Amino acid sequence: MDPEEISNHVLNKLLKAGADDVIVSVSKQESSQIKFSNNLINATKTWENIDLGVFMALKKKIVLTNIKELSLSAADDVVNKLLKFVKSASPNKEYAGIANGSFSYKEVEEGYDKKIVSLGNNTIDYVEKAINKALETGAKRTAGVFENSVANISLLTSNGIKASDKGTHSYFSIRAFNDKYASGQKTGFSRMIDLLDVEKLAEEAALISKQSLNPEHGKFGKFDVVFEPLPFANIIDNLGGAMSAFSVEAGLSCLKDMIGKQVANEKITIIDDGTLKNGFASSKFDAEGAPTQRNIMIDKGILKTYLHNTSTAKRFNTKTTANAGLLSPEPTNLIVNKGNFSKQELFEQVKNGLYITNVWYTRFQNYNTGDFSTIPRDGIFMIKNGKIGQPIKGIRISENILTLLKNVAAVGKMPERVIGWEVETPVVTPAVLVKDVSITRPLD
Amino acid sequence: MFKDLADFAVKYALKKGADYSEARLESTTSNSFILKNGIAEASGFDKINGLGMRIIKNKTLGFASTNYMDKEKIKKLIQNTINTTEKASKLREEINLSEENSYKNKYEVKQKINLNDVGPDEKIKILFDAEKELINTKINIPSRYLSLSDSITTEYLTNSDGTNILATVPKVTFFYLLTVEHDGKTSQRIWQYGQSGGFEFVKKWDIPSIVVNEVEALQNNLKFGIKPPKQTLDIVAAPQVVGIMVHESGGHPYEADRIIGREGAQAGESFITKEMLGTRIGSKAVNVVDDPLLENSYGFYKYDNEGVKARRKYLIKEGIINEFLQNRKTAYYMGIKSNGSSRSVNYDRESIVRMSNTFMLPGNHTEEELIGDVKLGIYMKNFMEWNIDDKRINQKYVGAESYLIKNGEIKGPVTKPIIEITTPQLYSAVDAVAKNMEYHAGNCGKGEPMQAIPVWFGGPSIRLRKIRLGN
Repeated sequence: MDPEEISNHVLNKLLKAGADDVIVSVSKQESSQIKFSNNLINATKTWENIDLGVFMALKKKIVLTNIKELSLSAADDVVNKLLKFVKSASPNKEYAGIANGSFSYKEVEEGYDKKIVSLGNNTIDYVEKAINKALETGAKRTAGVFENSVANISLLTSNGIKASDKGTHSYFSIRAFNDKYASGQKTGFSRMIDLLDVEKLAEEAALISKQSLNPEHGKFGKFDVVFEPLPFANIIDNLGGAMSAFSVEAGLSCLKDMIGKQVANEKITIIDDGTLKNGFASSKFDAEGAPTQRNIMIDKGILKTYLHNTSTAKRFNTKTTANAGLLSPEPTNLIVNKGNFSKQELFEQVKNGLYITNVWYTRFQNYNTGDFSTIPRDGIFMIKNGKIGQPIKGIRISENILTLLKNVAAVGKMPERVIGWEVETPVVTPAVLVKDVSITRPLD
Repeated sequence: MFKDLADFAVKYALKKGADYSEARLESTTSNSFILKNGIAEASGFDKINGLGMRIIKNKTLGFASTNYMDKEKIKKLIQNTINTTEKASKLREEINLSEENSYKNKYEVKQKINLNDVGPDEKIKILFDAEKELINTKINIPSRYLSLSDSITTEYLTNSDGTNILATVPKVTFFYLLTVEHDGKTSQRIWQYGQSGGFEFVKKWDIPSIVVNEVEALQNNLKFGIKPPKQTLDIVAAPQVVGIMVHESGGHPYEADRIIGREGAQAGESFITKEMLGTRIGSKAVNVVDDPLLENSYGFYKYDNEGVKARRKYLIKEGIINEFLQNRKTAYYMGIKSNGSSRSVNYDRESIVRMSNTFMLPGNHTEEELIGDVKLGIYMKNFMEWNIDDKRINQKYVGAESYLIKNGEIKGPVTKPIIEITTPQLYSAVDAVAKNMEYHAGNCGKGEPMQAIPVWFGGPSIRLRKIRLGN
């Protein structure tokens, strides 16, 4: 039986048994990764996966399942278990249904690349070129991954939605080292292999690494900070989590009760765009089958909406933003609108500040208030009178995410496409200058 | 279980020219339940059946995984993996595995109350009971997120060295996120309980009491908490805080793959080098171990995912850097034997060097004795925000439930005391260790793609002398 027949089989059986809403999805993925460190390939990795996902609502009782198996017998087992499970489940009084309508879908522009499909072992050549480029640029060591995947998804719902999509993804991450305490990291992604310049990323990582040799201990206090796209994307990724209506309800959002209010400087406009050309998280439809769309989340600093699925939208008296997540709406691609400044012009606005090229281990003290800290890693530099100077180490940003966004003083004009180990949501953002960022550090 | 498929895969890879092959079959069933602000958000169950393989050819490592339990598909996957390793060999890290004994064995963590015998209604009732108790406190708790999950995993590991290990480990996990509000201020705690074993542990935890204690402490802190003193003082850190400290700066930097640089682009490297073995990192009172053999622990295993017998590892012995966490590859590189620290979270992840249950060993004091000898200090019972840099030196722990200590006695609550300290400073400041042991559960992140693996971290209460709190 093919995936479509199995999906139909599951859907019909559940509807017969009294289910009100059903979504059946089948996703297939083939992916590969080359992992390298110390300029050598540590491992080649290959994955083949098929998943059957079922969402069922019966008298407002919600049951979800995901099984990594696709056969008629496995599907029958799932149906039986779902029906048994739902009997003793408790109703979700707030549940308000799934997407309804006959939709037409648009293909994602630059979302599928035959070259990625037939890439095979050539991935190794890309890695070799990138390592060589970093070494030529002056790095001593490199580490990273190069990942490529081909995915297909088909969706069938009890509201008559039948849809399918396919996509390719390519992701490259490289960290270059010149010394134990001198490093630089860059990441990039693309749906089309020819639009991902791994050598450029390698070169940029190596340049940061070279510049960051012999760091001194940083000082604590308030500093104006120029964030590279990579660390700013980390912060925006966390903000994206707070934008989900589920987070708002669960106490995980500093944006609760903030619709229509100023949550960032007027220089900041953030868009969630599930249709973005060559967007890493772009797709034709969301997990309910609603066609993805472009949502203005923050318009000149004002919060316009949360991210919704059909059910959360009804609870908030609005329409879905096509960001299902069946339980929790999720951001797709987050875009920080570009400003007018070159990176050099951002530096020139700083008398005494810092240039931060990466952060990691972002943790919240309280998701409601947005108090958090994160640790700059890789190249961190003093900026003195508009010029990049002494590299530093050993500092921490201890801030409030809303304060930080309100203190944005200038936005760069060269957006980069970021995804990474800690940046799970693809973010497109330029470099950004933030005033008065609180820097802490352990005492000597 | 498709054991014959794993056996076949190992042999087939050898036939196709592999020098070493290993197959790991996983079968997992799991259930989860979410209660959000008193509403049963959803319940669910998942099932995993899959095969992961490691193949070494020409000293090049290839990993492959599939959940198509089909011989022909597996043959093709193996052939592709061999082809890729051949091409990668021009640029490969030379992979050699340490010589180890091969074991044929099976083990199972017994359940007193089998997870499959407890219906979904009974499982979610535990959360409803907790919700009821929370409401009964009359404390303002604007968000209450509770989830309970359980799983049973059976793994079959076989390799071309003759290893055959069949293991069945059930696990239970309770997670909560609670926000308490008082006078327009909020405070939030996220914590988790986890063990290997059956439903008896969920009952034993007494979830309603856990959450009620939590919100009472949060409210007390919001209502009566004062700012901590600015001058140098002593800290008595309770087991939850010691557990996270030890995990972050007493466990992670001892992972041999980080020391070698293999995780450089992801979880990072380590300030510790091979040359630092035998040198002092802390006071004599500090002993840190990693032990997968703790019964019913969240990080329990008897054999690691390379088939190496698990044992206790003394990472820090009386303040001296004593041993690293090793898998067969890092062990060979360092000219020693593996100490059984290779783990993978699921069949579709490569096994890498991981912690299991990492904790500080107890000392001889009571917690009261530690507090009794403090003139001015902070008792930090638990924490909220924390983090550490990627070389594991610069770390921060923000106290949640915390109290002032004055002249040897615990006084009122203090708000958000911040320990921001380097690793050598932290372990050198420990002057006394109590004997009250606790273990706590977490999911430790490492690897790319991410592998959030179940671990315990813990310890007794400890006293840190002469600390300046952070801002």
